[in-house]
Amino acid sequence: MSKQQKELPVFAPGPGRGFRHGGARGPVSKPKNFSATVKRLWQAFGREKRWLPLVFAIVCADGLLMLSAPYLIGKAIDAMTGIEQSFSFLSIIILALLGSYIADGALTFLQGWLIAGITQRIVTNMRQALFEKLQKLPIAFFDSRTHGELMSRLTNDIDNVSNSISQSTTQLMSGVIAIAGSLVMMLVLSPILTLACLITVPLVFLLTRTIAKRTSVLFKHQQSELGKLNGHIEETISGIQVVKAFNHEEKAIADFAAINDRLCKVGMKAQIWSGFLMPIMNVINNLGFAVVAIVGGILAVKGMITVGVIASFLSYSRQFVRPLNDLANIFNVLQSGVAGAERVFEVLDEREETLDAPDAAVLAQPKGHVVFDRVSFGYRPDQPILQNVSFEAQAGSMTALVGPTGAGKTTIVNLLTRFYDVTEGTIYLDGKDIREYTRDSLRRSFGFVLQDTYLFSGTIKENIMYGKPDATDAEVEAAAKMAHADVFINRLPKGYDTQLTENGGNLSQGQRQLLAIARVILARPALLILDEATSSIDTRTELIIQDALAKVMEGRTSFVIAHRLGTIRDADTIMVVDRGEIVEKGSHDDLLAQKGMYYQLFYNQFKNLYAASS
Amino acid sequence: MRFYRKYIKKYGVLASITIIFLMVEALCDLFMPTIMSRIIDIGVAQRDMDYVLKTGGLMLLITAVGAVAASMRNVFASYVSQNFGSQLRFDLFAKVQSLSFDSLNKFDRASLVTRLTNDVNQIQMFANGMMRIFVKAPLVCIGGLFMATQLNPDLAVVLAVVVPIVGLLIFLNLKIGFPLFLKVQQALDRVNGAMREYLAGVRVVKAFNRFDFEVGKFTRANEELQTKSLSATRVMSVFSPAIMLVVNLGIVAVLWLGGLGVEQGNIQVGHIIAFINYMTQILFSLMMISMVFNMFVRARASAGRIAEVFAEENRMSWKEDAALGQEPGEEKGRIDFDEVSFSYEGEDGQPVLKRISFSCLPGETVGIIGSTGSGKSSLVNLIPRFYDVTAGTVRVNGRDVREVDPARLREKIAIVPQKTTLFTGTVLENIRWGKEDATEAEVEAAARMAQAHEFIAATPEGYQTRVGQGGVNFSGGQKQRISIARALVKKPEILILDDSTSAVDVATESKIKEALQTYAKGLTCILIAQRITSVMDADKIIVLDDGEVAGIGTHETLLATCRVYQEIFTSQIGKEVG
Repeated sequence: MSKQQKELPVFAPGPGRGFRHGGARGPVSKPKNFSATVKRLWQAFGREKRWLPLVFAIVCADGLLMLSAPYLIGKAIDAMTGIEQSFSFLSIIILALLGSYIADGALTFLQGWLIAGITQRIVTNMRQALFEKLQKLPIAFFDSRTHGELMSRLTNDIDNVSNSISQSTTQLMSGVIAIAGSLVMMLVLSPILTLACLITVPLVFLLTRTIAKRTSVLFKHQQSELGKLNGHIEETISGIQVVKAFNHEEKAIADFAAINDRLCKVGMKAQIWSGFLMPIMNVINNLGFAVVAIVGGILAVKGMITVGVIASFLSYSRQFVRPLNDLANIFNVLQSGVAGAERVFEVLDEREETLDAPDAAVLAQPKGHVVFDRVSFGYRPDQPILQNVSFEAQAGSMTALVGPTGAGKTTIVNLLTRFYDVTEGTIYLDGKDIREYTRDSLRRSFGFVLQDTYLFSGTIKENIMYGKPDATDAEVEAAAKMAHADVFINRLPKGYDTQLTENGGNLSQGQRQLLAIARVILARPALLILDEATSSIDTRTELIIQDALAKVMEGRTSFVIAHRLGTIRDADTIMVVDRGEIVEKGSHDDLLAQKGMYYQLFYNQFKNLYAASS
Repeated sequence: MRFYRKYIKKYGVLASITIIFLMVEALCDLFMPTIMSRIIDIGVAQRDMDYVLKTGGLMLLITAVGAVAASMRNVFASYVSQNFGSQLRFDLFAKVQSLSFDSLNKFDRASLVTRLTNDVNQIQMFANGMMRIFVKAPLVCIGGLFMATQLNPDLAVVLAVVVPIVGLLIFLNLKIGFPLFLKVQQALDRVNGAMREYLAGVRVVKAFNRFDFEVGKFTRANEELQTKSLSATRVMSVFSPAIMLVVNLGIVAVLWLGGLGVEQGNIQVGHIIAFINYMTQILFSLMMISMVFNMFVRARASAGRIAEVFAEENRMSWKEDAALGQEPGEEKGRIDFDEVSFSYEGEDGQPVLKRISFSCLPGETVGIIGSTGSGKSSLVNLIPRFYDVTAGTVRVNGRDVREVDPARLREKIAIVPQKTTLFTGTVLENIRWGKEDATEAEVEAAARMAQAHEFIAATPEGYQTRVGQGGVNFSGGQKQRISIARALVKKPEILILDDSTSAVDVATESKIKEALQTYAKGLTCILIAQRITSVMDADKIIVLDDGEVAGIGTHETLLATCRVYQEIFTSQIGKEVG
């Protein structure tokens, strides 16, 4: 009788754990390759495998103990009804029962304790492996996936794995033992009563099958409507300014009502069908109860069995039917666990950034002489982004890249830093193919200031030190001063120890950019990449940043991408990139004289300014 | 939290019927063990086959009644909870749509979405649970106690001991477990935070080669999560067997006491079996009750968050009959700001705009320039009444906007917001947002003006290309151009471009401006921009600095007289010219 309490979800008051109504199962994602994934999951158990024989033994022992309880209860009843009337016999049975219950308690506790440890260690390892794998993947991997998708591998999928290890495996084991054991015990006690009892089994199968088939379709349908509704809500709430500006409130509400109604209808159907499962199981239980009582009663009247057998049977039939009912559920949890594991393994199997060549050189003191030699590149083979790009940048020179959006400017710098590797051609740094350097030393020689600076949660000091973890406080402050960041940092109550929220949300765009510049100054790279570093900053702040940037660029090979042409006029070389090719190259004055594309761009932006200022 | 009254009124009767069915169901469950004990104690003991069959038939009948009640209850409960949830969600959504930005800004946008999805679900689930088991559990618990005591008062002593202990254990479990699971949640948040940060900053990590640092950070969070989860699940692994053990010991006690009773002849064997059955029923319902409590806490928090939204009122008022474009002397497309001050927090708040006065004549193009945070967007938000002024007056076509229904006012105005927002659907549908009955020719004309036609036509499906969720990803500049086309198709009297060409390259931007100038005869156009070149040919330029007007005039006058404007100019033209 005690088995049924074990499976109650009541002991999980934690947030995020939904309450499951009887039989209300959501759609289950199915793994593509069940057996292969299970094998890998088994490997993932690693050293934890040594605990499994013990766990298995405990589950078996506990299962057998639980089988003995109804038998003992039946014997006790018999002892009372006088067939084997003797109070001392009753005492022995009761003591045995007491012992088995205490042992059961101890074993269940031990089992829970062990399983918790095993599950947590395996899952922690999987999370760790996943995160460490992410360190080795190329940028292309991150560019082709949404953050939400990767986050869900870490959270939902691993959660599913954890549930399926901690619950399903033991439930499956104890379920099988309970079913088989109960069946054997019942047959031993009374084959006729067993037969009567088993009448309900096909009923259970038939009903759960029919209902599960129907509900799985309905739940899928419900899930898709819910997705649509959530999408609509998300869109209209985040875009509410536009909704209101265009007087679209009524239409948004009407659209909402349409999806909401569909959701309501399908949700109702799904709920009614799945809701039938619990009362039906209850009815079947009661039916079994009644059948045992009636048939048992008849047999007892005829003296073929004792009353104690009826009492035992009442328990056994319950122990027999309940796991049958749960098996489907257990299998679902197991399946989504395996599917989750599969998605995690998918990431673990992704191709890593190609390893450095074994003889790769360490780029120790780069001078910064860069040559692009007939470089072509496409993120996908059928869509070339860069075609036959060649140019040379002398050490310490400033090269500006201009051109319309999507022309390939950012791609050029992505290749230079080996975020991507060229499809054709070669890039040389200080006379050597960049693929012959270790990636680590190559990237260390670059400093980046991008349009959207990324800051980490941590203090301002930690963020500036990111590129040089062993910097002293004096160095940090000197770098901040040079970047003109010291003014606002000193105004903060905690100065350099001010804690930044995620992505520096508590700083303004301009302040974040100044921190990024300070970070680069401290790291002292030989080459510098500025990709739209000031485009999202208002022009007065930009003055300060321009000044800071000018200092950083001194003596360094720098590549500057900018929309505002005013900022790049001093560049040694300006390259106009259009549709993946370099169409013009030269100094500001040269290019103006050519009256080509640069002239057009510049004229558009500055004609009136010049007219006005002269 | 008064909002739920409406729903009680609407669904109360049906919910009560559901609960009546639920009670019938519970009663049926409660009768079973007692009837069974009769079969054993009377039927078997007296070898009365007839009685066994008759009583057995009664059991089957009660089972059937229970089944019918449960099925009816299921249908009713599903109907009520689903309809109630839908209605609540709909009302909440309609409420959100009706609120002014004043009210909306009190909530984070993401939190509004959560309230509409998660919180409504929590309440719906609670309502559903209430009609399924939450009411049944206490009923079975009390009924079970009553039936068991009636069956045999002596054995009920065991219940008097076991039930309070189990109750106490459940209480302790919740009390100790809840904070532990909260800690698990916090640790989980930290792990997710580390991951999110890494994903967002992956280029920087790679650039500085700080993999060890990142892995270290993650490892610490991950290990903390492991420790916290372990302690939480292990506490649970103590309580769960403990509760079972107490109940099982109760069963042993019942057998013991029962055995003594049978020997003395004052207890019947059937009673003992029935009693044990009642004990399990009572325990089961006790656990359910603890779950009810859990759900209640969560649902109450959700209800509170929903109530907050319902409590907001749209306080904007207007004169019913006040419409634009009806009075004879009205100037179409004229805007006047008269000593306007504005603060998001009301009169006592930090002012964002201070005593601003200017006029836009019909057909004029007015540029607004200034640093971030100088109040440019706040200023234009006052024109379509997204917000009402704190002091002063904003007039459109000569009428105080506070007298006009915002919907009527917004018919005359088209806005292209700073943050481009397109909606799920085709390009055509998105542009038609501006004018629902626009012909394809009108849509195309607007797209041409916005320099969007070319790239739209270049896609395989043209105007039928899907945007947004599951659709083609247009670049930022392309989306901006679609959003400009959406505003133009509306053929407004006033067009507001809030820095909406920032992602469009300079050549395309000037083409859009040329197209606007040809088309926009008589259209009043307000142009917010970062680039001086975007506003310099405007009829007048307003320079904003820290919420105040630093200068109004043409490019030439401002360049000669306005210090702030000169600074902006210098920064953009490069050093030597300024």
